[in-house]
Amino acid sequence: MTFLKSQLKNNRFLMIVILAYVAVGIFAPEKFLPSLGNTWYYVKEMLMIMPVILLLTSLISAWVPKETIENAFGKNSGLKGSLFAFLLGSFSAGPIYAAFPVCKMLLSKGASIANIVIILSTWAVIKIPMLITESKFLGPEFMLVRWILTTLAIFLMGYITSRFVKPADLPADDEAAATLDGPLAVNADYCVGCGLCAKIAPSHFKMVDKKATVISQTLSPGDDLAIKDAVAKCPAKIIQFYR
Amino acid sequence: MDIFTLIFWVITLVWLGFSLKKDKSKTLKAIKMSGGMMKGIAGDILGILLLIGLILTFVPPETIKATIGQANEIVSTVLFALLGSITLIPAFVAFPLVASLVDAGASIVPIVAFLTTLTMVGVVTFPLEKREFGLKFTLIRNSLSFAFALVIALAMGVIL
Repeated sequence: MTFLKSQLKNNRFLMIVILAYVAVGIFAPEKFLPSLGNTWYYVKEMLMIMPVILLLTSLISAWVPKETIENAFGKNSGLKGSLFAFLLGSFSAGPIYAAFPVCKMLLSKGASIANIVIILSTWAVIKIPMLITESKFLGPEFMLVRWILTTLAIFLMGYITSRFVKPADLPADDEAAATLDGPLAVNADYCVGCGLCAKIAPSHFKMVDKKATVISQTLSPGDDLAIKDAVAKCPAKIIQFYR
Repeated sequence: MDIFTLIFWVITLVWLGFSLKKDKSKTLKAIKMSGGMMKGIAGDILGILLLIGLILTFVPPETIKATIGQANEIVSTVLFALLGSITLIPAFVAFPLVASLVDAGASIVPIVAFLTTLTMVGVVTFPLEKREFGLKFTLIRNSLSFAFALVIALAMGVIL
């Protein structure tokens, strides 16, 4: 029963649409099958592309050396830094808010404002898995033209923003101010809900409402390794581990 | 299957083969992670696809064409850009939705504006962004993104 309840809560939107279908079946039964038929066409398209996106996202996260790219951001990294920013955004997964903590970390490493704008925008609009989906549904020509125009716009936006916003305008790191009730903390606002931490270190993390939550602050010998692994694997870099 | 999808399949499968050969456990772990993320939005995707079916059945293509067709392109483009700014759905889900509109005869200019603001401008995530980067940065980045979304959309209309 609780399982059913949590499923309902997690898929509220789907439930509403299904209710709409029930209503259609009762009040306009002649439209019921055509609606399902229209849906089926797009389901087929989706099934053709979904496994590729899933695999490609996995391969990117496993083999693209994010650390190397991230270390290339220096204070005076210049054009090279911007290029790396563009690459980092392109080879990413997850919604734009997952990029916030990553960018925050890069800022503390000395990344420029322009490069942060480039990462955020590239991450949001033209990351590779997204381009593939776009090309599938709207055609390769559409995708390519939009990619070129958007890339130009992103570099311009980075330049313009850096003219107006100086590093002093950004808030200082408030991590130290956060109240801690143990060695572990998760910034659940940015959780993308992949559930990896709960799989790697199930005694310390649990998924609640699609967000990672710390369930235990006690460390037994040997826990370190799993927790450190979870910290490293977290795609949004939201797990803090203080030792 | 069109040629482009086929190419992506081939590249991905070849890469997967190498990846499995080189480090099996790393590869499987990564797939598990992406699978988890995907499972999180699977319900939303199915919901959107079912909704598309309903819309296409109840709203005739002529109506869609007239509403987001050639007439009043500037107005509909700005409206769609605003709509994209306040919506927070994964782009992954948005593509079949907008494709169904384009198939029904909608002009691509408002569609492009919607796609760009949908992902780049975040009204819902504004408080989060402000907390991390400050008001000035967030305001300027989002305004610029909105303006450029319109420019990109209009340019697409001219080129395609």
